[in-house]
Amino acid sequence: MAAMAAALRGVGGRFRWWTPAVAGGVRGAAQGAVAGQRDYDLLVIGGGSGGLACAKEAAQLGRKVAVVDYVEPSPRGTRWGLGGTCVNVGCIPKKLMHQAALLGGLIRDAPHYGWEVAQPVPHDWRKMAEAVQNHVKSLNWGHRVQLHDRKVKYFNVKAGFVDEHTVRGVAKGGKEILLSADHIVIATGGRPRYPAHIEGALEYGITSDDIFWLKESPGKTLVVGASYVALECAGFLTGIGLDTTVMMRSIPLRGFDQQMSSLVTEHMASHGTRFLRGCTPSQVRRLPDGQLQVTWEDRTTGKEGTGTFNTVLWAVGRAPDTRSLNLEKAGVDTSPNTQKILVDSREATSVPHIYAIGDVVEGRPELTPTAVMAGRLLAQRLFGGSSDLMDYDKVSSLAGRRLQPGEAESEASSSGVPTTVFTPLEYGCVGLSEEEAVSRHGQERVEVYHAHYKPLEFTVPGRDASQCYVKMVCLREPPQLVLGLHFLGPNAGEVTQGFALGIKCGASYVQVMQTVGIHPTCSEEIVKLRISKRSGLDPTVTGC
Amino acid sequence: MLPCLANFCIFYRDRVSSCCPGCLPKCWDYKYEPPCLGPPPFAGAVVSYDYLVIGGGSGGLASARRAAELGARAAVVESHKLGGTCVSTVMWNTAVHSEFMHDHGDYGFTSCEGKFNWRVIKEKRDAYVSRLNTIYQNNLTKAHIEIIHGHAAFTSDPKPTIEVSGRKYTAPHILIATGGMPSSPHESQIPGASLGITSDGFFELEELPSRSVIVGAGYIAVEIAGILSALGSKTSLMIRHDKVLRSFDSMISTNCTEELENAGVEVLKFSQVKEVKKTSSGVEVSLVTAVPGRLPVMTTISDVDCLLWAIGRDPNSKGLSLNKLGIQTDDKGHIIVDEFQNTNVKGIYAVGDVCGKALLTPVAIAAGRKLAHRLFENKEDSKLDYSNIPTVVFSHPPIGTVGLTEAFLFSNLNIFALSFFTLYVHTHTHTYKKMFFFFSQVVGIHMQGLGCDEMLQGFAVAVKMGATKADFDNTVAIHPTSSEELVTLR
Repeated sequence: MAAMAAALRGVGGRFRWWTPAVAGGVRGAAQGAVAGQRDYDLLVIGGGSGGLACAKEAAQLGRKVAVVDYVEPSPRGTRWGLGGTCVNVGCIPKKLMHQAALLGGLIRDAPHYGWEVAQPVPHDWRKMAEAVQNHVKSLNWGHRVQLHDRKVKYFNVKAGFVDEHTVRGVAKGGKEILLSADHIVIATGGRPRYPAHIEGALEYGITSDDIFWLKESPGKTLVVGASYVALECAGFLTGIGLDTTVMMRSIPLRGFDQQMSSLVTEHMASHGTRFLRGCTPSQVRRLPDGQLQVTWEDRTTGKEGTGTFNTVLWAVGRAPDTRSLNLEKAGVDTSPNTQKILVDSREATSVPHIYAIGDVVEGRPELTPTAVMAGRLLAQRLFGGSSDLMDYDKVSSLAGRRLQPGEAESEASSSGVPTTVFTPLEYGCVGLSEEEAVSRHGQERVEVYHAHYKPLEFTVPGRDASQCYVKMVCLREPPQLVLGLHFLGPNAGEVTQGFALGIKCGASYVQVMQTVGIHPTCSEEIVKLRISKRSGLDPTVTGC
Repeated sequence: MLPCLANFCIFYRDRVSSCCPGCLPKCWDYKYEPPCLGPPPFAGAVVSYDYLVIGGGSGGLASARRAAELGARAAVVESHKLGGTCVSTVMWNTAVHSEFMHDHGDYGFTSCEGKFNWRVIKEKRDAYVSRLNTIYQNNLTKAHIEIIHGHAAFTSDPKPTIEVSGRKYTAPHILIATGGMPSSPHESQIPGASLGITSDGFFELEELPSRSVIVGAGYIAVEIAGILSALGSKTSLMIRHDKVLRSFDSMISTNCTEELENAGVEVLKFSQVKEVKKTSSGVEVSLVTAVPGRLPVMTTISDVDCLLWAIGRDPNSKGLSLNKLGIQTDDKGHIIVDEFQNTNVKGIYAVGDVCGKALLTPVAIAAGRKLAHRLFENKEDSKLDYSNIPTVVFSHPPIGTVGLTEAFLFSNLNIFALSFFTLYVHTHTHTYKKMFFFFSQVVGIHMQGLGCDEMLQGFAVAVKMGATKADFDNTVAIHPTSSEELVTLR
């Protein structure tokens, strides 16, 4: 502990050199920058999961690397440290708050298991938030230490291109620095979108950038959106006992398997989350007592509705963080529609030595592990003599079809990358959705095996397991190659990972069935799938 | 279409059976009536079937049901309750609850003082188990499988025949699936040994014991010690050597021993029970501890209200009169079978614990089903592949393991081992994962940590398929989970 603290002080000390003299010196070096004389072999813009992975890998290969990272405060003023969305305002705090909500369910189960717990057990947001934030801060610190250990220079500056090899960094106090590098990687990710056309949205609403850093409980909350971010946030808010409503315009979890998506929302609804379907908000007003009054239009009836909430959370998508980069100065092309950066299969932009990875790139799944893997592979190609490309289309390559360049995939699941949605009942998937499999191969060539099961741990407290469901989408022709796997139930993330590996290796239905089950677990239901949808038989699992 | 066991609707929501309204669970719905086969034909005084299964445990039932689905006229002989030994991991869940309770404070739940009431969980568990028994019974009836109650013993008739309660039954195919029972030491070896109970008795306990001594180093001992300790019983685990789970990978074995100690279980190493005496306040256990290189020390533990033997399982083969047909067993009484579950006598087979190989419910089930396919569907090569069977131990935290161990693979290996914190605030439970590669092919995965039970199944598929390190590296992680560490090992 002490050694780590000392190391961190070392990091801090090293970067306190921010004097005009030194900055000027760097600027002098940068201005005359030509190949071989540039400051760095690699400059990474953005200290998120992808950028850090790329920087660390390059440093490990012996290169001189710098990372620049700067967090523009959210409109509510929330700010955070190094590590990007996942660490600070994404996966990590989300899963911890999801865990807090699951604990609430376990406390309700506890009396059935013999624990004498006085119900109801109140929840203290402040305490949870502090514990989660402390963990996040320890991760920020860990990233700083790791960069230091690998001799990667870290600059807490906001970056913009000056030319195709040079970047200007502006620090919080307005001081500037110029950095030049042979290779530049853009990994600035994205930020939540605000529906700017809705009156009061920006003034009174918050986003996922703020929810995890709230000092006080958000209280009665309206979550607007149908993405996994919206459902996950609504799920844990309901789970810790808050009155939560989700407003969605059309379908939940677009791009994911729709049968599974509707089971997810069905489960949430049965556990207290309210849903306003087919509705779009039109106005947010602050009432004299501080509450927010939201007006919306019900698109099916055409009628107007209103409700009051303590918090309105927008989860209506994310926008790439490219505006302040001055990409045009370097000649990096972006998509006119999405402002995301266009790259080829080697992650190279329209400028050959400038690359982009992660959420900022057009057509990539917005997932931490894909960015990490892309970053690492990129560094290995640049400096390690590797030629391995990131395979974004795990499953279709097995099924004989590749995505065409530039073909956009809006959500992760449709591209086959394994992922898990941490709604109260977790949904893990890998490979194709049933709809996608049918549209690629035709109804006649696809066989779907499925089962409704009851997790053992649900039996004693008499929990409803109506939505615990698993299905495996296969080709019908023997040996029945597995195209996709969808699992709804406890620990879905842990269940799915191993199967993702199997499916990546080209597993067939026959091979999965040859594997002995692990009893009693939920994951064994997958190797016991015997009922096909085509047979019309009841897929409810019985007995031991 | 042949009747299929999945047509029994058991836990299905909101549907009440038309055939048995109001019965528990909610419904017994059978979509496709099985063909009525009529009463079995008599051959003299001997009732004959296509398939006779001795033992109504998981393996026997699975095989009988599969055979019936394939059109065979089958009967199951059971002297006890249907369902066998595979019942009781409910208790493990209870204990897991206590661990989560400790974390409640960290996640913001206030004033969560948990006391534990043993009776509540026991009643729930008994209800669940008896419901399972009913389910099995109904499933067999619906599948037109005859249930013969009583003890089966082979006769010396020329055609393989068994006798149950004075009546004779025969079949061209007879499966022995009588399972096993926990062993306990004989009074002549350890005076007072019968004052202890076994895992069967554990599930009968009416109250949570306050002072427990568990003897044994296998997975049953580890699981029960973990449960009792987590629920608040002062627990000692007595082992003959210095580590538990010695047949597991050495990392797991070491780590699990440490985790038990961290969780407050007193692990008495190099120790054996010498004598057990009844006192007014329970039993007194005398033990001898013989640390190598030191003189043996005698100690006693008094006021023990639960002494539990978990020193292995004996096959239930004694009362079967196997000698009448000359069916071979090993010196412990395990029936010797080949890879197709054949005994040395034609037409007699055995699966599950009675064979003493891989004592796991799914193994017995899988082997029983494979056998049914071989016998009644003419699939001559239908057999269970006993390699790479995944195993989970419900210790705290659980252990998952598949494939070969370090001891087995001592040469030619390439270890990727790492230790890290799972994403779980303030519990600081170490998770250990280790994989073995043989010429880059993954041949063994061993791990202990939260979630390892659910994690293993998918990886077991991949190991069975012969996945390589490159395949692991090419699999995108699921973030944030504990299992992603397996595909990001570097």
